[in-house]
Amino acid sequence: MIAIARVAVAAALLVAVKPAACQAPAYKAPRTADGKPNLNGIWQVLGSAHWDIEGHAARPGPVVALGAVGAVPAGLGVVEDGPIPYQPWAAAKKKENAENWLTADPEIKCYLPGVPRATYLPFPFQIVQTPKSILMTYEFASASRIINTDNAVTESPIDTWMGHSRGRWEGETLVVDVTSFNGQTWLDRAGNFHSDSLRVVERYTAIGANALRYEVTLEDPTVFTRPWKLSMPLYRRLDRNAQLLEFKCVEFVEELVYGHLRKKAGK
Amino acid sequence: MKRSGMCHFPLAVIAIVCLTPGSAHGQTTKAAANSRPAAKKWTAPRTPWGAPDLQGIWDFATITPMERPTDLAGKAVLTDQEAAEFEKTTLERRNPDRRDGGAAADVGRAYNYVWWDYGTRVIGTRRSSLIVDPPDGKIPPLTPEGRKRGEARAALLRGPAAGPEDRNLWERCILGGNAGPPMTPGAYNNNVQLFQTPESVVLLNEMINDARIVPLDGRPHLASNVRQWRGDSRGRWEGNTLVVDTTNFRDPTNFRGASSSLHVVERFTRVDAGTLLYEFTIDDPKTWTRPWSAAIPMKKTEGPIYEYACHEGNYGMVNLLAGARAEEKAAEEAAKKDPR
Repeated sequence: MIAIARVAVAAALLVAVKPAACQAPAYKAPRTADGKPNLNGIWQVLGSAHWDIEGHAARPGPVVALGAVGAVPAGLGVVEDGPIPYQPWAAAKKKENAENWLTADPEIKCYLPGVPRATYLPFPFQIVQTPKSILMTYEFASASRIINTDNAVTESPIDTWMGHSRGRWEGETLVVDVTSFNGQTWLDRAGNFHSDSLRVVERYTAIGANALRYEVTLEDPTVFTRPWKLSMPLYRRLDRNAQLLEFKCVEFVEELVYGHLRKKAGK
Repeated sequence: MKRSGMCHFPLAVIAIVCLTPGSAHGQTTKAAANSRPAAKKWTAPRTPWGAPDLQGIWDFATITPMERPTDLAGKAVLTDQEAAEFEKTTLERRNPDRRDGGAAADVGRAYNYVWWDYGTRVIGTRRSSLIVDPPDGKIPPLTPEGRKRGEARAALLRGPAAGPEDRNLWERCILGGNAGPPMTPGAYNNNVQLFQTPESVVLLNEMINDARIVPLDGRPHLASNVRQWRGDSRGRWEGNTLVVDTTNFRDPTNFRGASSSLHVVERFTRVDAGTLLYEFTIDDPKTWTRPWSAAIPMKKTEGPIYEYACHEGNYGMVNLLAGARAEEKAAEEAAKKDPR
């Protein structure tokens, strides 16, 4: 088992370094009772994609008091065929978002993070796989989404933060088609964004007992000039008795969001 | 779901998870849990790995009150006729489209049944209270500490909120008012979807879309210093029943002024094709003088469960705090004009 795990991690690292390598996976995942690749478990991304999905050098953070803790670690980037193909207006908007990060980023306000951002936030998430539907539940903000694999619900009646997810299996890969976004979520803390025209196609493929390959195609004709791709490995949380804990961040942003409406001391 | 929640959705949406009785795998279930009269010939479905299959979307809306109404004292179970009468009078009393109360009542009834989804029926057992123990159907007396805590909390909620912490956890969008544990019927979104794997059961409440993951592998509870708003749940199977044990709550809890010592034991048993019996026992010696228990037969329902983005649209909190500040300012200015 240890040897297998080591190979799996090595494979995951290779994929991380060479994200363009896209050949069919040699690994065949264990099966669930209904014969599908078993992706159940608690997963988490490593790296700094949550800061900036594009390659970036380390940089200082905006909060002086946080010093080294608040600085932004460097990252190789998870965009496969970058730079991100923004339309000219959208490139300007991205820049504006970055300049106004503290006031503009929905993550800071503890809003539901959307897809794919939920996946690579620095928090674990859990896949709960059943034959007709798959629940993905995220530690950040207790976000959840249901992925229908029986395609009984084909259309979302309303736009949402986490989108409307339909899933299907292609061999070893879970393919999830996500639409009906409300356009209020971002892609990272660097101001990368999308509109409510976004369509996300996610592909989850086991590349070892303890790693998944996560590939995402983003298509948004309002914002981008062509579809583009993200790719990164997801690692299984192997901690003893691993479980999602609460990160109900509303509590942590109440001062930020409502502080100006608080009763002043002494009144 | 249905006409409830923050938006008005069409009714004709198809279920996403709806295991029909025909999907049972033909295994003989243990007779014990099927001894209830309503379930004599019905065989509880099993998952492919042999666990009782509780999956699906379950609706716990009901107009049966938690506590037995005083005028029904001594009457634990209603007759069919009494149940029909109770439903009729309750719905008439609650009808938000009534216009017989003057302007103030009209404002109070501003939200009509597009919003509210209390349900229209008493529970299938026709019991006159959800509480089954104590036998009088009433919540046991509070301890002195529980009374004191409850009164302080109530006073806080009555007064103008100095900040969001003075409002309850539901208004703050930290927890869903009815999502538990324990789940209790409320004004709307009385729905929970159950997912099962061999390792865990997950309860996804529609209210605030909050997933509670219940490990089944016998692991211990979190360390006692790790406290959570929804506590920490562990599950096990007892025959056909899922038993979920929850501790590690934090203050303030979301349940009737309970302390963080609250210990909730929930039991889920399928009793017929369309019913998941949900029972819970509350034990909190810092709040109540004895443990107490309730039972709610949840009905299978069609979905899907919708996203409920509560915090993202919490204009209520903004308005409530802004209103309190405006009132203070008005009072201040009135005092300046008329100093006594």
